[in-house]
Amino acid sequence: MSPTVKGGKFTVGYRVAIAGRSNADSTPLPYDEMMTADGSVRPHYKALDQRVATLGDQELADRQKTLERFFLLQGITFTVYGGESSTERIIPTDLLPRIIPAEEWAVVEAGLTQRLRALNMFLDDIYGAQQILMDGVVPRELVLSAPSYRREMQNLYVPHKAYANVCGSDLIRQPDGAFAVLEDNLRVPSGVSYMLANREASKRTFPGTFRLAGVRAIDRYPDLLLSTLKGMAADWRPNPQVVVLTPGVYNSAYYEHAYLARLMGAPLVEGRDLVVHDNMVYMRTTTGLRRIDVIYRRVDDDFIDPLTFRRDSSLGVAGLFNAYRAGNVVICNAPGTGVADDKAVYAYVPEIIKYYLGEDAILPNIETYLCREPAQLSHVLANLDKLVVKAVGASGGYGMLIGPHASAKERADFAEAIKADPANYIAQPTIQLSTAPCLIDGAIDARHVDLRPFILSGEKIVVTPGALTRVALKKGSLVVNSSQGGGSKDTWILGAEESRL
Amino acid sequence: MMLARVADSLYWIGRYVERAEHMCRLSDVMLNATLDRTDAATQVASIVQAAVGDPETGIGLTPYQMARSLALDREDAGSITASLSRARENARQVRDQITTETWERLNLIYLRVTGPGAAKAFEDGSSAFLNEIISDLHMFKGAADATMSHGEGWGFLMLGVYLERAQLIARLLKVCFGDDKQSPVTDHAALTSLLRMGCALEPYLRRYTADIQPRLILEFLMFDADFPRSLRFTTSRIAEHLAGLSGYVDHSSHSGPERFAGRLKARLQYADVDNLQIRDASPMVGTVLDECAAIHSAIYDTFVAYSLEMRLPA
Repeated sequence: MSPTVKGGKFTVGYRVAIAGRSNADSTPLPYDEMMTADGSVRPHYKALDQRVATLGDQELADRQKTLERFFLLQGITFTVYGGESSTERIIPTDLLPRIIPAEEWAVVEAGLTQRLRALNMFLDDIYGAQQILMDGVVPRELVLSAPSYRREMQNLYVPHKAYANVCGSDLIRQPDGAFAVLEDNLRVPSGVSYMLANREASKRTFPGTFRLAGVRAIDRYPDLLLSTLKGMAADWRPNPQVVVLTPGVYNSAYYEHAYLARLMGAPLVEGRDLVVHDNMVYMRTTTGLRRIDVIYRRVDDDFIDPLTFRRDSSLGVAGLFNAYRAGNVVICNAPGTGVADDKAVYAYVPEIIKYYLGEDAILPNIETYLCREPAQLSHVLANLDKLVVKAVGASGGYGMLIGPHASAKERADFAEAIKADPANYIAQPTIQLSTAPCLIDGAIDARHVDLRPFILSGEKIVVTPGALTRVALKKGSLVVNSSQGGGSKDTWILGAEESRL
Repeated sequence: MMLARVADSLYWIGRYVERAEHMCRLSDVMLNATLDRTDAATQVASIVQAAVGDPETGIGLTPYQMARSLALDREDAGSITASLSRARENARQVRDQITTETWERLNLIYLRVTGPGAAKAFEDGSSAFLNEIISDLHMFKGAADATMSHGEGWGFLMLGVYLERAQLIARLLKVCFGDDKQSPVTDHAALTSLLRMGCALEPYLRRYTADIQPRLILEFLMFDADFPRSLRFTTSRIAEHLAGLSGYVDHSSHSGPERFAGRLKARLQYADVDNLQIRDASPMVGTVLDECAAIHSAIYDTFVAYSLEMRLPA
């Protein structure tokens, strides 16, 4: 082991690493969250930089260990199945927070609010009069043939026209430092418990720096979520009974379901706990059946009701959708929201915003080619080595081709797959994720990160002043999904006023 | 009001935690007693083997091998590790219902016994290993007692603990005094070990002095009003918690488990202790075991697995 050197060894090393980067081709270097291109520390990172500089190797490693122990003890783990026994692992967590200054966050917040407002209006229109399809702004068959479009939702009343009550959008920072939306997650986005747990942990890791920085609080999230959910039934039930519906303990996000239920004080139910009778939903309690008004479901559309959707599902409740249709229960998020975060519909979101709000999108999209359009298809096929191609229906980083990193054979195979079913594919230029300092094997190094903020919509839209920063732990990797070796870190949004007695 | 499934899980956490603690104590007493190569040691080992339940287990094994597999064998459903894993698995399913302090204690024990260092820790010092689990389980119960609301969920947790405890102690008494085919245990060292298995040695000495007699042990473990592992004490707690739970139920059908528990409590409370004979052990312990089984299934019929037709709104 190397002797402990105090005083900025890490950040000096990081500066060297950042300054020494170069790209073989002409693509711009990724934006770094802490350092400018000339190697100086951005103002909002100065306090953290100075704090870390005073810590030795061992101290930093100890703090990382304490952090991991906190996650293990809390049971913030996911289960890896394989072989004869299954093991539980913590999601890798990095102790150095990612910091976003107030003025940058203001843009993100306004952009996300605008975007979700427009997407809710889009869903209301699609499942209503379909004006946007008649006006030809979005191609009709693109929407109606999407697997995530739910015919059953047509003309169904959704309170406040809030379809996506919980939204977790994936943002990336482009080389020029501007945020762009990579993906909207309107189905059952997860990760908010990691945002909250990372915060609890980082308050312990860097308490002094945290206090001085003026980090905005996020601990009201469960409270806001509960009032958003209650607000969905408040018109017809004075004190609605809210429950969280989980697929069960074997789901990889089970910890989050239990965590949110506990912090909201709402029962955590599974499909087998619920019964539908006369189009009312009840849960089986020790004292008999009890009526339920709002279901915050963490089960995918396909599985919530075997009578309406997938018949082989045992995770849902038979008759649930009819109870919903009858207006006796609210399902959050509404079924069918996936049509608005479909990878092909994504390309139209700027037009959707313009159409409903008459505004330009505050947060830009990533340029997207739709293989369903013949002209764009031939562009994609001609430039496969420069593009990232994704299957429309897939998620979690699967079913995609990263052109520049693929072999000629992989590209040729993928080209055949695209030609066989062009409507199923979209392509985007290889994106650059920004980098942030992370503690990797005892040294500070740059890793790519994205940003997933959480937005609630009910009577009104609220953006939580925090986010989950996902980290691609493998050097140079752009894949941040936890299923493929991604980790996470706390995200500090600055700009909180200091409270005074 | 709580979910039936949640009540079920809390009840089983209580049962598994109690079972794990009891098995730790049994193993520890056995390992300690069998350090001497005496007849009494052999007797203690066979008591433990019979009390653990499965007559097949332990055949041909040394006491140490038996204790090791009782502690660590994940495949054996009766092992300490299996009980702790199930308690923790149930706790994970009702993670929203138990406090973080309580959860952390149980999770910590689980991580220790299933961790890579468990086998080595057992080999380095089996007594320390087992006693550490016992004291951690005490901390779990303490954390639950100090941080959880003593409402309905607590009631189910405690029901599990006391029902399991009553059955474990009753089974131990049955093995020692109630087996018609074998003569009752009379050896002094074996009797002392029996008291240790019930965590009863010190309270017994305080009550009866060092006069260790089978009849007095039977009296103490069955009828003592204050000792927390006596059958009278445990059934009295069972009746108490069931009465508490019925406060949450507004149906008349809850009378089942409460009635059984009340009847059993009265039997033990008003038994003719002065004329107690060792040969009474077999029928009395048999009754306790039968009644406990009846209470268990009545709890299910009333709170957990009731028929929906009876409870649908009119």
